[in-house]
Amino acid sequence: MSEDKSNTRLREALVDCAAGRHAGVSAILEHEGPKLLGLAYRILGRHDLAEEALQDAMVQVWRKATQFDAAHGSARGWIYAILRNRCLNTLRDGKRLSILSPSDLAEVQERRQAVVPTEGWEILAGPSRIRDCLKTLDGQSRHIILLAHVAGFSHAEISARQDVPLGTIKSLIRRGLHALKECLT
Amino acid sequence: MTHLSDQIIALSDEYVLGVLTQTEGALIEEVMARDPELARRVGALRDRFLPLDRSATPQDLPPEFITQVRAELAAQDRPLFVSAPPHAANHPSAPRKWRLGLVAAALVGLAVGIGSSGLKPVPNPTVVAVLVDAAGVPQAVIDDYGNDTAFVRFVAPITVPADRTLQVWTLPSEQMGATSLGTLDQTAATRLRFQDLPPPNAQQLYEVTLEPLGGSPTGRPTGPIIGKGFAASQV
Repeated sequence: MSEDKSNTRLREALVDCAAGRHAGVSAILEHEGPKLLGLAYRILGRHDLAEEALQDAMVQVWRKATQFDAAHGSARGWIYAILRNRCLNTLRDGKRLSILSPSDLAEVQERRQAVVPTEGWEILAGPSRIRDCLKTLDGQSRHIILLAHVAGFSHAEISARQDVPLGTIKSLIRRGLHALKECLT
Repeated sequence: MTHLSDQIIALSDEYVLGVLTQTEGALIEEVMARDPELARRVGALRDRFLPLDRSATPQDLPPEFITQVRAELAAQDRPLFVSAPPHAANHPSAPRKWRLGLVAAALVGLAVGIGSSGLKPVPNPTVVAVLVDAAGVPQAVIDDYGNDTAFVRFVAPITVPADRTLQVWTLPSEQMGATSLGTLDQTAATRLRFQDLPPPNAQQLYEVTLEPLGGSPTGRPTGPIIGKGFAASQV
């Protein structure tokens, strides 16, 4: 199915959600479920956390669907953003991860670190404009931006893991994002 | 050209990237809800980043997953929808207008409240914030008097579990981050006293979260957001 058709279908699913019809959520999951769960699993590193995040995100999609406005971006981008935010909240809210044993927690963190390879990062972007633009960044900025977006690391986590001062990380991200946007537009 | 400040644009880019705190993210979402240009910018950048999100290896949904999600939806009450006009969901601009209408209604209620309490003159607040939930329904109103005193009252029924505390926050500046104005264990109108905060600004963010008993253990909001909103200057 073409991207356009597929986005139209997701938009229609959001109209169903906005009208209170559960079928809208079923349609999103039937169409996009495995990709969405894949995204949650990549960020959270555990099937149980990923499934919980996807379920909560779908409830939010259903509740917030009246706020979706196609003039502000694609239905797919809107749905993915809700799931991403839900996953990031799991990572940032210590209580949610406190149910894990220290060894399980360490495994989650290791898995997240491995999500972004220094070599062969292109696989994360597929053939896309964002890949072409990421190529124009210096290696360090690109790696940091991918750690943030793809693995969901915060400024502070990136600073600790890269052993680079927090302020430097923040300015590298701001500069990198600025350069990316210049290239993307 | 844009009317948006470089600071808001940079924050919104970081919002898309995913590095903002929950409070900073809430701030951007509030501005987006009122500013179509920012919403368009965020939507456009989000769509550009989407190939990164879609490169994750797909995972099969567990059997019955869709059924479970639908059962969860059925368990959730949606009073907002029930009372919505029938055309609202399909009209592109209806939700925002309606939501602003609710906020406006709450502000009118507030004004009437102040007017009818004329027997007992009280100082005017410096700013007033109406905190709304994710569906745009007003939950609480905060009057900040700018002298390290604020008054919070709840305008929707809120259940506080026995092991939880309500905590009121504001974001005086990005540098200071979310700062607690106080905790409360019940939804009775409460005067909050705090120390050493700069005078509140118009557009300053306020929010109420549900925290562990006694308040957030980290000094920053950790729990679910009951309501959030921007201040409107009263002076």
